[in-house]
Amino acid sequence: MLEFKGLTKQFNSTVAVKPATFTIPDGQMVGIIGRSGAGKSTLLRMINRLNEPSGGQMLFQGRDITALKGRDLRQWRNECAMVFQQFNLVGRLNVITNVMSGRLFHHGFASSMMGIFTAKERAFAIRALDRLGMAHVALQQTDTLSGGQMQRVAIARALVQEPRIMLADEPIASLDPLNAKVVMDALRAINRQDGLTVICNLHTLDTARQYCDRIIGMQDGVIVFDGTPKELTDRAAREIYGAEAEEAFSEAMTSTALHPQPVAQPEARVVN
Amino acid sequence: MSTLTFHAISDADIAAARKRYPKAFGDPFVATLKAASWAFVIVYLIWSLGFFEIGKLLSASDRAWALMTRMVVWQDMATWQYANIYKGIAQTIAMAFVGTLLGTIFALGLAFLAARNTMPVGLFRHAVRRLLDVFRGIDQIVWGLVFVRAVGLGPLAGVLAIWISDMGNLAKLYSEAIENIDRKQVEGVRATGADTGRIIRYGYLPQILPVFISLSLYSFESSTRSATILGLVGAGGIGMIIIERFRAGLFDQVAFVVLNVLVVIAVIDWGSGLIRKRFIGERGH
Amino acid sequence: MASVTTNGQDRDPVSLFEIHRRQMIRDRMIVNVTLGVVFLGFLLWSLWISRFTPDRLATGLPRIFEYFGSVMPSLQWDVLFDGRNEAGRFPAGSIGYWYNDFWKYLRLIWETILMALTATILAIGLAVALSFIAARNCTPFPWAGVLARRFLEFCRGVPEILFALVLVFAVGIGPLAGVLAITIHATGALGKLFSEVNENASMRPVDGIKAVGGSWFEQMRYGILTQVLPNFTSYALWRFEINVRASAVVGFVGAGGIGAELSHTISFYSDDRVTAVLLLVVLTVTIIDLVSERARHSLIGKESLR
Repeated sequence: MLEFKGLTKQFNSTVAVKPATFTIPDGQMVGIIGRSGAGKSTLLRMINRLNEPSGGQMLFQGRDITALKGRDLRQWRNECAMVFQQFNLVGRLNVITNVMSGRLFHHGFASSMMGIFTAKERAFAIRALDRLGMAHVALQQTDTLSGGQMQRVAIARALVQEPRIMLADEPIASLDPLNAKVVMDALRAINRQDGLTVICNLHTLDTARQYCDRIIGMQDGVIVFDGTPKELTDRAAREIYGAEAEEAFSEAMTSTALHPQPVAQPEARVVN
Repeated sequence: MSTLTFHAISDADIAAARKRYPKAFGDPFVATLKAASWAFVIVYLIWSLGFFEIGKLLSASDRAWALMTRMVVWQDMATWQYANIYKGIAQTIAMAFVGTLLGTIFALGLAFLAARNTMPVGLFRHAVRRLLDVFRGIDQIVWGLVFVRAVGLGPLAGVLAIWISDMGNLAKLYSEAIENIDRKQVEGVRATGADTGRIIRYGYLPQILPVFISLSLYSFESSTRSATILGLVGAGGIGMIIIERFRAGLFDQVAFVVLNVLVVIAVIDWGSGLIRKRFIGERGH
Repeated sequence: MASVTTNGQDRDPVSLFEIHRRQMIRDRMIVNVTLGVVFLGFLLWSLWISRFTPDRLATGLPRIFEYFGSVMPSLQWDVLFDGRNEAGRFPAGSIGYWYNDFWKYLRLIWETILMALTATILAIGLAVALSFIAARNCTPFPWAGVLARRFLEFCRGVPEILFALVLVFAVGIGPLAGVLAITIHATGALGKLFSEVNENASMRPVDGIKAVGGSWFEQMRYGILTQVLPNFTSYALWRFEINVRASAVVGFVGAGGIGAELSHTISFYSDDRVTAVLLLVVLTVTIIDLVSERARHSLIGKESLR
């Protein structure tokens, strides 16, 4: 169980995330929605402390996450894997090394500096890649892959961490619809089969509705909605997205729609 | 495929994965090559340090320590003859300026003789280039010593040394700039019916002038740096004061002079950065 | 076309343009004249300070030509390739006579190259380590970054021959002082270049490794080093070229290599021995430049190095 107790983030004078208090039980798939700049990314990056919270507390299974330091902090980061919008893989290394880097926390100084990985780790990495259907590119240099392939490699890296929570920061925002579907399906499979908690920032409403058990809506750093996809009415969604509503809705129907057939033609936007 | 934990990976799993993707388990040839090259570097380093008698470093620590303390503890600061120090620094800057200016003027001519697109006679061009190689290949301080032998101690030898080495460097860089010129712009000017003079004025000059100015400014900066040590061989400037006082064991004064030189060089870098910005805009070179 | 209307006033474009042009020319003139005066003043001051006067040049130039004439080898075609005669000496005018001390020079040049190589390897190690601390986006502690940058600036600012002068005093005459001097200066120069490369590296892989639970060392090793390695190699090779030149002159103050011989020969003889050593040094430097340049270009596109 991940508990947030008044977690805040302040950049100089602007408050990115206003005190947030909520709880995420184990095994839930949570989608955080909101327009760009609403503080979704900051909230997510505070969970694994890539962004340092300016106030409040975070507890995981009763353990205070916000107070962790040094090796404990790195252990926590190892326990909650993150998938990024831009994949954040090491482009000049091959795919399997990227995946194995998910096990760096368990390495000593010398072996990680020399880049020595055991056969067990290699086999495990191949298993993880195989699960995402990417084992065949294991020896390719990572920056030669397409975006969708890279994101799947990134998920494989997250998997070899054997995490307890999976964070996904806009995992499909840079992908085409087909790859977006593959990636979201993979995340849901991980959630369902492994029982991992998945917390996912999403820009598009449709995806969140289709894949998540629970939706959290953010606006200007404040959580304005917290409920099931069914409870999220069109009116509530419009409120969350504000001025970007049309974009978010139409985007859901066109560019990143996960339905096989487009529902509306792009011309429809001109009328508005 | 469903969940699998790291600890549950068995030898059979490893064998199966190895069978499917043998190369993913590391190329023994590459691994050996890597290890061998690292070993070579380390063995070489140990051998060469032994060859250079690294042990002397340990036995010299007393002497080195004494030197260090005398450098940081400044004594009798009233008797340091500051006028001489600053005259030396001024002389260094002046030498660098005159030397670079002369180098620039002569490099302008040589560059056109060394560039492929302005000097069609291959044999002559190569002769010029080899000459430039000699100018550049001999270090400035060696030129300094040579000119001290030829014209005697003093800044004249220093100016000549800077002149000749800057001439070599600049002529090479200038000629590269001339070769990298955009031919379309020249053709554009030619298409207006311009004569040779106008083609050079409006086709070549606007393209190469900013690069030339920038290169010469860089050269001035680096000449000020190198001119500080020309005095070590007697070719004028602050180096003469440094070596005199070092030989006299006035290490605190040497430290003071070197600090001053560092500050002056930083100021010159900053100033020439401003000028460069003014002449060629932010794009730099 | 009709005239352009500005602020309700009717002005034809030509006269408007002329006004602007005259204004611009006047502004430019003022700046250019000021710069010209400053330049001329600085030039006159420099000529006066460096005592670079026509009469000195007039007396100096003939002596230069005289000197260069005296150090040129007097080679004679008929005996050019002759070996030692009965007395065990090369005949005057042969290459053997010119390069009587060839093997001594070669040994010293070998020492010079080894000095440069060792210093380059040591400097690479130190510079890589310091560059990660000095780069603003990588530094583990901001104060350490400031410290590292100042340290690198100092190492880079002081010429190697000055370090050599001091080190010869501290550790004695010999190549060790030269190796250490070049190492210190090259660490400063490479460290700055490396840290600039680090600062231009993408931080995304670093974030990725950080999120995996990697330590600072792992973030640098996997996130940054893999990106910058080609640039590092290219800069290191380029530095090796410069270090060879440097190690050829640190001997001037007694810090080993061919420099001592060079300085001794130039200072005490004015015959063909001067050109013999100089030519060997130039050849060595040129060959190493060529080889290293080729290696650099095959490693990384020509455009990435100025």
